[in-house]
Amino acid sequence: MCPGESVPTADRGRRRFLSGTIAVIQGAIGATLAFLLGGAVVSPAFGRKRSTWWPAAALDDLPDNEPTPIAIRVTREDGYSQVVERQVVFLVKTGATDVTALSSTCTHLGCRVSWNADQQALKCPCHGGVFDRTGAVKAGPPPKPLARLATRVDGEQVLIEL
Amino acid sequence: MGPLRSFADWLDSRTGFRAGRSHLLDEQLPAGIGWWFVTGSILLLLLGVQLITGVVLAMYYVPSPEHAYDSVRFIADRLPLGRIVRGLHFFGASFIVIAAVIHMLRVVLFGSYKQPREVTWMTGVVLLLVILGFALTGYLLPWDQKAYWATTVTINIARSTPVFGEQVAGVMRGGADLGALTLLRWYAAHVFLLPAALIGFVVAHIYLMRRHGISGPIVEVPGEARPFYPYHAAKDTIAMAIVFALLLTFAVSFRVPLDSIADPSDATYVPRPEWYFLSLFQLLKYFPGPLEPVATIVIPGLVVGGLLLLPFLDRGAGRHPRQRRLVAAAFVLLGTGVVTLTYLGFKDSPTHADPSHWGVLALAGREFAQDQRCQTCHRIGGTANPIADTRVKRDIEWLRLHVTDPEIIAPGTRKPPPGGMTQSQGRAVASYMHKIRGGTMAPPIDGEHKTAILVYGRFCGNCHMIDGEGVKQGPDLTRAGEKRDAKWLREWISDPAAIDDLADMPAFNDRLTDEELTAIANYLAARK
Repeated sequence: MCPGESVPTADRGRRRFLSGTIAVIQGAIGATLAFLLGGAVVSPAFGRKRSTWWPAAALDDLPDNEPTPIAIRVTREDGYSQVVERQVVFLVKTGATDVTALSSTCTHLGCRVSWNADQQALKCPCHGGVFDRTGAVKAGPPPKPLARLATRVDGEQVLIEL
Repeated sequence: MGPLRSFADWLDSRTGFRAGRSHLLDEQLPAGIGWWFVTGSILLLLLGVQLITGVVLAMYYVPSPEHAYDSVRFIADRLPLGRIVRGLHFFGASFIVIAAVIHMLRVVLFGSYKQPREVTWMTGVVLLLVILGFALTGYLLPWDQKAYWATTVTINIARSTPVFGEQVAGVMRGGADLGALTLLRWYAAHVFLLPAALIGFVVAHIYLMRRHGISGPIVEVPGEARPFYPYHAAKDTIAMAIVFALLLTFAVSFRVPLDSIADPSDATYVPRPEWYFLSLFQLLKYFPGPLEPVATIVIPGLVVGGLLLLPFLDRGAGRHPRQRRLVAAAFVLLGTGVVTLTYLGFKDSPTHADPSHWGVLALAGREFAQDQRCQTCHRIGGTANPIADTRVKRDIEWLRLHVTDPEIIAPGTRKPPPGGMTQSQGRAVASYMHKIRGGTMAPPIDGEHKTAILVYGRFCGNCHMIDGEGVKQGPDLTRAGEKRDAKWLREWISDPAAIDDLADMPAFNDRLTDEELTAIANYLAARK
């Protein structure tokens, strides 16, 4: 028997009203819980990554126009804790106070590139990706140039944003 | 016939869901069942809320003494909506205890436990114990002071079990001491064992309720039986909505307390259980020494045993309370006892220091930690994290030595800070680190107040205590202003020997400037 069958007609309206009330109230409770709990589950996925300016090197220490690997100790939030990571970036001094920072992560599959002074190129050891000193792809499978990081020169200090 | 209808028909032919739905919703209920019979549905809603909020909390909680506290702090302070989810779970626990007791009293009042519903009643009593089990295991999990010390008391109570006391306590601890293994097994009980028991017994309880039908009003009310849905379901739903709205209001308006992190070496902490265990806790006070098992085992055992066996002790056919005077009297006695003991327990509770209150030592520590000497290493891009971002996981002694005498911690790696640091300064920095781990912001201080606090942190704290921090060599200065005024204090601090030949305290007139002397004297004189 379906609910609603063999019920006197006078009672039908009351039944319909009560059913509607139940659906609305329970729907509201369910929606509130779904919003609160779903929000708590999903929100960390959309949290904006916080970036900080990290001191990287002294301007005078950088040779002109040659990518120099710099290791930076970066503290990053990891949920309830913090992790300390060593990140390597290439700094290229392109003018008296102009410095470009290139990520050392190959854009193909994420291996670490290194500077080959003989061939004047940044080379990836994994699948033979080759980049020039501006980060542009010269050979191999990488689909796009090396990522550039924002830099700033503060007096003698070169800062990069990570 | 729309496509939805034909899909439903197909699904019904394969699963028979319409018959199932009809079985669930169309039960005929006797006339005259009013609002008294909504208590079970309220419990069902609250238990459901606990289950799903618990699952979300489990996505962020880490059951280890190293991380538990920080992960709870993360949920409460940094996870969007986390504070409310934790609030629903925390206050939900109290709501369930209240709702379960009301549900039980309704059943007792209506005599619904009587034949043939004895087993339904007994599954209900087991469910009450499961709910209390949840409450007990749940509050160890945040690993704060309250969690640690209340659990210590719980385990000590278990030790008073006759004959097997030590063994029972050992199993509860999972080892010789309360620690990582304890936390893990209480966590496993809270999230695996008890939920399984809860779901099993709830299903059995509802199955049995349906098997025998609900007991209905005490005196039969003339009228036609009507289906559960939508007539009684509407009452259930309205009651659920009111309780849910109340719970949400609590979760949104009140902060769930979180003490400072558990410190096994802190002997000053006086533990208090949650309010629903307060009566048992209070009972313990009246049965000291060898009589303790009376409060821990005998009385609770008699109550639980009496509840379980109630349908067999009261076998009369009459359901009206007037026909069951003994049962009514027993429940009035039990209720009065629990309420009185809970009230006495509340009255006896010590006032706990507010964890967000910054003591003078911690405030001084903040000033010292901002010192250039610390920032040689503790800075962005330095060899160590900036101090405000550092989470110290070591004990306070280690931290003190790290600050005052790094040679002991790591010989050769770092020179002691130039100019040296007093023991009290080390303790002040340690106190500051402890506070920032608790996630509270320091109030701003300036002017003479700041000068006084720095003087206390550098010198006074080496021998004197304020608000329980410092060293207990000289007199406690918490209420220094009650006995002495600023003028006397200033003279005494400048040169104690000038006032009392036998004074142990050294003179400070050569170490403090006039301004510093005035500041510390005024500060102490104001402490009353």
